[in-house]
Amino acid sequence: MQWPRPRAVPIAAAVLTIALLAGAACLLPHSIVQAQTPTASQLSIYSPQTFYTVPLLNLNGQPYVGLVDLLEPLGTVDAKPDGKKYKLKFALPGAREMEFQFQDGKDNGKIKGDKVKLPSNFAIQGGRGYVPLSSVSELLSRALATQIRLSPAARRLFIGNVGERLTLDLRKGTPSKLFVSFDSPVNPTIATEPGHIRFTFRREPVVATIEHENYADLLITGATFSEHDGIAELDVAGTSPLMANFADGGKTIVVSGAPPPPPQTAVMQTPLPQANVPQQTALPPKAPVGPRFLVLIDPAHGGTEIGSAITPTLPEKDVVLTLARKLQHELQGRGVSAGLLRNSDIAITLDQRAISANAARPAIYIALHAANSGKGVHVFTPLVDPANVSSRDFLPWDTAQAAYLELSGAVAGSVAAELESRKLPNATLAAPLRPMNNITAPAIAIEIASPSENVEDIGSAAYLDQVAQAIAAGLASMRGKVPEVRP
Amino acid sequence: MTRPIVLMFVALLLITAGLGYYAYHLKAKVAAEEQRLAQQSQVVVPPASGPTTLVALYIASDQEGGLRRSSVNVALPQERSERARAILRALIGAYLQPGSQHPIGAGSDVRDIFLMGSNTAVVDTNAAFADAHPSGVLAEELTIASMVTTLNANDPQINQVKILVDGKERDTLAGHADLRRFYRANGIGQLLKDTP
Repeated sequence: MQWPRPRAVPIAAAVLTIALLAGAACLLPHSIVQAQTPTASQLSIYSPQTFYTVPLLNLNGQPYVGLVDLLEPLGTVDAKPDGKKYKLKFALPGAREMEFQFQDGKDNGKIKGDKVKLPSNFAIQGGRGYVPLSSVSELLSRALATQIRLSPAARRLFIGNVGERLTLDLRKGTPSKLFVSFDSPVNPTIATEPGHIRFTFRREPVVATIEHENYADLLITGATFSEHDGIAELDVAGTSPLMANFADGGKTIVVSGAPPPPPQTAVMQTPLPQANVPQQTALPPKAPVGPRFLVLIDPAHGGTEIGSAITPTLPEKDVVLTLARKLQHELQGRGVSAGLLRNSDIAITLDQRAISANAARPAIYIALHAANSGKGVHVFTPLVDPANVSSRDFLPWDTAQAAYLELSGAVAGSVAAELESRKLPNATLAAPLRPMNNITAPAIAIEIASPSENVEDIGSAAYLDQVAQAIAAGLASMRGKVPEVRP
Repeated sequence: MTRPIVLMFVALLLITAGLGYYAYHLKAKVAAEEQRLAQQSQVVVPPASGPTTLVALYIASDQEGGLRRSSVNVALPQERSERARAILRALIGAYLQPGSQHPIGAGSDVRDIFLMGSNTAVVDTNAAFADAHPSGVLAEELTIASMVTTLNANDPQINQVKILVDGKERDTLAGHADLRRFYRANGIGQLLKDTP
């Protein structure tokens, strides 16, 4: 027998490697082999009624969007996967129901009985239906019968005529000022670094006709507008530190040179009013901001953390998000400011929830849960060990709720009374449920279970409406009874 | 291509096929074993020998949303922590019975109980207890409350309990109930549906 010639050795090695890789692949758990690469990106959707984000899933190398995630904030959704077939009923508020029909692995489907062809195959993952991002514009325009503008690269989608036009106006002088104007008030995140000031618009549908402007100016040298990852950014460049002031009720941002830092001695001096000397102020006095009654709604779980599996295709994370949106709507209808801690299918850790909630400084925090066992609605109040209650100003993280226990109990009582008046079975219990004990505001948690023996009834729109109305009435009646907080 | 190379390719292909078949067989075997373990309803029985003692169990009911007291005869060891373990295993055994009002994950068990001082019990459960536990605020709180109340009812000195999973601390039982804290027996009164 001859030894293989040198040229054949690499071939043999390659074959052996393939063989070993094939064996290793077979040994991998099925779920790992089939796992899809999650993308951190999301699609921001701006409609005249609401703003929300939906996570993007990377399937077959391209971004996909969950149909339920896409449509639920806009109306009523009832999705029913049946093996490889997927049917979804969608109705806008006050409008007739329409049906979407797709099939896993097929690129054709139907909307309202009309055929529709997707740019790539429809996919079902974990009982949820996904469409390619590039098809979202056509699907939504058929469903909503309105103009849709999608910027796939920027991950931004605009429904109808929504859009905040941004205009730039450099007014030269000593020093020069850049006026950035919008159609309505905006509230961007502002970041500064040497020679730049950057405005990030996450919730506002800000658009611009310009991408870059160069200015022949000694102070402000240019402005760049960009859109990416579901946000819009305006970067203003200057030759020295810049600052921003809001004017015209928040519709205009004035960018100007930042004043030099005051000398050290001035900081140490106690300012005294001088009767005959006019006081100089660098900025106009801020309008006083009054206390507000904000209810912060925290739909539990999200993303890969699905919570309880109510049914194989109905996870807790979806039920509570639907309930949260209904509760927000009910509260706003009662004149109460209400915010959602998550408004899309994203994972947030318990500590992140507490940090965000405390930063929002709500008057009331409410966490929403759903269970596949039990019956009715359970209202939970925080449970902090008396031994751990601190009276110091610096609050321990695990017992930060201690000072608010009495108010939390009052909120729970108010909600329970409204549930009772609507004949919804309920019970109030204390539970050491995270992140309630980390919240520095009156806090409660609600866990809903099915109203009947059929566990699927937990997701019925009528039941969720009834629960949302009761909770909203209970929370709204606490206005004036819990301290309102300055933002 | 010379004959030896062809033979080598054939041999490699046979090895590949053999490896693939072995891996497929192994995977099917592991899946069958996992399924068997998951379906195995481990009903804990007390030791067969020795005199039995009437112990109080606080049994949870998901529909009622609370705990009810019941009594069973269990053969109890002499040692205090072993006695506590036998009582909790009887409680878990009740939850694993078909038709339980508060079903928990198949294969759930208490690995060990450590008594710290006179009043604290650290209960080390197995992974199945947490991994297969039904997820839900009430369901998880009921399980913990029934364990704490049962331990306290049979050994009144035990008034606080900490639960570990496979010897380690976990954040939550099944996504809700906080397992980082000690549970006190006197904080559970709301869940009792009848008095002892």
